[in-house]
Amino acid sequence: MTRVQTNMQNKAQIFRRAVVCAVLLLAGCASGPGGSIYAPAGERPQAPKPPLTDGAAKPADEPQVWRKSEQPPEQKSQQQTGVPGYRESGDQMPDAAAGLVKEADTLMAQGNGAAAIARLERAQRIAPRSAAVYFKLSEAYVMTGQLGSAEQFSLKGLSLAGRDERLQRSGWLLLADIRRARGNVAGAQQAESRAARL
Amino acid sequence: MRFRYTAAMKNTDKTRKPGRKKPALRKKPAAAQSRRKGFWRILLRVALLGLVLLAGWMVYLDALVTSRFEGRRFEVPSRVFARPLELYSGAPVTAAALEQELALAGFHKGDGSRSGSYQRNGGRFLISSRGFDFPDGKEPRRHLALNIAGDQVQNLKVVKGPDSGIVRLEPAQIGGIYPAHQEDRILVQLDKLPELLPAALMSVEDRSFYDHHGIAPLSIARAMLANIRAGGIVQGGSTLTQQLVKNFFLTREQTLLRKGNEALMSILLELHYSKSDILETYLNEVYLGQAGARSIHGFGLASRFYFAEALEDLLPHQLALLVGMVKGPSYYNPRRHPQRATARRNLVLDQMQQAGLLGESDAQRARSLPLGVSDRASFSQNRYPAYIDLVRRHLARDYKEEDLRSEGLRIFTTLNPAMQMAAEKAVTETLPRLGDKALESALVVTAKDSGEVLALVGGRDPRYAGFNRALDASRQIGSLVKPFVYLAALSQPQRYTLITPLQDTRFTLKFENDTVWQPKNYDGLERGEVPLHQALSKSYNLPVVRVGLDIGLAEVKSTLQVFGTSSAISDYPSMLLGAVAMTPVNVAQIYQGLATSGFNTPLRTIREVTDAGGEPLSRYSLQVNQVADPAAVHLLQYAMQETMQEGTGRSAYNTVPRALALAGKTGTTDDGRDAWFAGFSGDLLAVVWVGRDDNGATRLTGASGALPVWSNFMAQVPQNSFTPVVPDGVQYHWVNVQQQALTDEQCENARLMPFITGSEPKQTITCAGALPQKIRGWFEGLFQ
Repeated sequence: MTRVQTNMQNKAQIFRRAVVCAVLLLAGCASGPGGSIYAPAGERPQAPKPPLTDGAAKPADEPQVWRKSEQPPEQKSQQQTGVPGYRESGDQMPDAAAGLVKEADTLMAQGNGAAAIARLERAQRIAPRSAAVYFKLSEAYVMTGQLGSAEQFSLKGLSLAGRDERLQRSGWLLLADIRRARGNVAGAQQAESRAARL
Repeated sequence: MRFRYTAAMKNTDKTRKPGRKKPALRKKPAAAQSRRKGFWRILLRVALLGLVLLAGWMVYLDALVTSRFEGRRFEVPSRVFARPLELYSGAPVTAAALEQELALAGFHKGDGSRSGSYQRNGGRFLISSRGFDFPDGKEPRRHLALNIAGDQVQNLKVVKGPDSGIVRLEPAQIGGIYPAHQEDRILVQLDKLPELLPAALMSVEDRSFYDHHGIAPLSIARAMLANIRAGGIVQGGSTLTQQLVKNFFLTREQTLLRKGNEALMSILLELHYSKSDILETYLNEVYLGQAGARSIHGFGLASRFYFAEALEDLLPHQLALLVGMVKGPSYYNPRRHPQRATARRNLVLDQMQQAGLLGESDAQRARSLPLGVSDRASFSQNRYPAYIDLVRRHLARDYKEEDLRSEGLRIFTTLNPAMQMAAEKAVTETLPRLGDKALESALVVTAKDSGEVLALVGGRDPRYAGFNRALDASRQIGSLVKPFVYLAALSQPQRYTLITPLQDTRFTLKFENDTVWQPKNYDGLERGEVPLHQALSKSYNLPVVRVGLDIGLAEVKSTLQVFGTSSAISDYPSMLLGAVAMTPVNVAQIYQGLATSGFNTPLRTIREVTDAGGEPLSRYSLQVNQVADPAAVHLLQYAMQETMQEGTGRSAYNTVPRALALAGKTGTTDDGRDAWFAGFSGDLLAVVWVGRDDNGATRLTGASGALPVWSNFMAQVPQNSFTPVVPDGVQYHWVNVQQQALTDEQCENARLMPFITGSEPKQTITCAGALPQKIRGWFEGLFQ
């Protein structure tokens, strides 16, 4: 009985933390260095070509069938090329995905976790590099009682939180709560100490 | 028993005595009279017997009619849908891809305001969506306006219908799972149909439908008269009930016996069932065309097949055409014989007018309209055989084949038609240029972070539904194994970093049975010391074997297994050079974890399955499972990016835009038997295999055989660059790799590289020492 109560308290706590986390996330995520990483199709290489490794490579003068649409200058990728790149944090959530997350929130408030997961998966397809989507999925899985999946999605979110300390802290605390609810006290403490170090 | 006995007697009389009867008749008139009486008696008995037999026959027919009608009336094939295109501001899509997508989903060019039509003006689109019942809710009809610029959706506006920032178009049907008899249909319900349809049908085929009891003798007489006058069969007198019985229970042969059965069964059917029940069954049963081996049954599917529209959206002239086609779907095929079909349609419109279903002006207008048939069949059954093959294998885990063939399930897959088209084009364009006609290929494309399989090509002819190499060609993966060896090493940061110097020198391994193994580099050269990142990006063999032996084969094997390798992995060191056989789909699975910073994401082809009524049956959710430290994977991703910038994958940028940052790995096996490339962008993971089915030698490498296919594909698709987020516990430092030391950004040979915190070099060097060397180098250059 005590254990059930503890579990319920844990769940409620996870929810509270998840909601705080979600509010923070929807307020906006820091974008990483380098600006847009979007590359339209079929843009011809501008840089000097490296030597061919084999004669079978595609001839340079072959026309592209799918022509690139006219591209405004601000769309040009700022991404530095020629060296491996990285970013300090994941993507901001586009409006379309944020709208779906809001719908998922409403569904969760109505107790419909399964429908919320379906909405969030749509959001994930639009914003696959946004930590916020994964934390939300984690929250939805907590609600449906699938704590194993919830833990994995909070870890996935953390892998995209980058240098954003606020995101990191929310994620580690969410993870700590889930781990505790699963009976993994050591793992929970570890996650809490990670959060405390930030 | 008594009757059977009598019958036997009668038969005996008939067969034994005819020769003796005739003379007796002449000789004995009294006897003849008595015989005449006997004849009537026999006749009566025969008639009685006939009646009894008929009664028995009718009991049999009745059982047949009711059992077929009461039981499952139709076997409805399952429908397989592509993923729906999601439109929102910022959605990555080219104008050409959007137009292709619209065509596949059955949209037609028009004014963009009639349901199911679109208008394109450069990058500007007006789309009138039909709405669709998705498993997670209904997407309403909308009028949309949007621009495509820079291969992205911009300014999406809902002009009419419920406002939303994100809209799903109805998905294209990409296949079906058919009953053995290949009948295809979409069931419709009478009360949800336009009233004009049954009325028009009756006005042409059976005016007295609501008055007769299955057969209409007057109609038969009228038809006979008309046929006699015309000297051939020009008119049928069959009621709708008779037509249904004929299609439902009987063969097509024209015999008296069959006609009799048809009449009897029609009467029985009418006795048991209501008129609306019979009419609804007729509307779903009637044969209305052929698409290859697939037969088109019922008005619901015919509407989709000929007009790409839902039946309830058809206009009177379209309904008239379908009603007219009942008489001869092949003869009046509007795609093959538009003139005949138009004449027939107009005749139906005349009849509808006569029956008072259409006013004169409406009928006149309808007659003047073109047929309005869509350009082609709404989908072709064998368009994506390799992909459907994978879908069916996934379905087989949870569903019985017979249910898939008959229960009308709706299967929502992850296929992205634009990606599939690009993937097929990449294979069919590139393979002929590689020189060997026997070369085959396979290509798997997945969404990097969701594991959804977006496109699949199973051979050089993507339409050929035979051997599916993407799923069944188990081939050695060569150097594709190397990232896993280095990942196992980088997971021990106290021992290995990206700049750890490795020995690129020959060595010999002696086994217990006295056999020896002497690995070699692809080019046969030895380079002395090379840093780990370069050993991977240039794919040197000697260092990877040394590293693998150092950390242990068991460790490498376990890394491969946790990433999802399903095949057996050998315990011999040759495993470190890729003597492990895998299918392209399996390679995509294990690379998924590398692309997503150590999260295994099971590949999926199906999002949801619903029953025919739209009730969800199964949902296949996104799953992630962390199997490696994101920090170690981040280091590895650095080296895999370097592969594309400076290493064996650099020729990708002959084709791919420079702005698209990529990561990947080449793979080649002995004598070029297998050429592999596996790599990813920010959004997509793609794996290509090229080789011969007979496992013969080729002159190809991963870079010259598989990479051209991969690059061709990547160049066609607008997408985001691969720029991994730096995970917790990783820091970037400027280092001098050769000196194994931290250095300043401005210094010569300074390189910004990631290290797991604490594993960065302890020593720091400045540029000071380097400057005189620089000047000396300049002077040397001057005087040489």
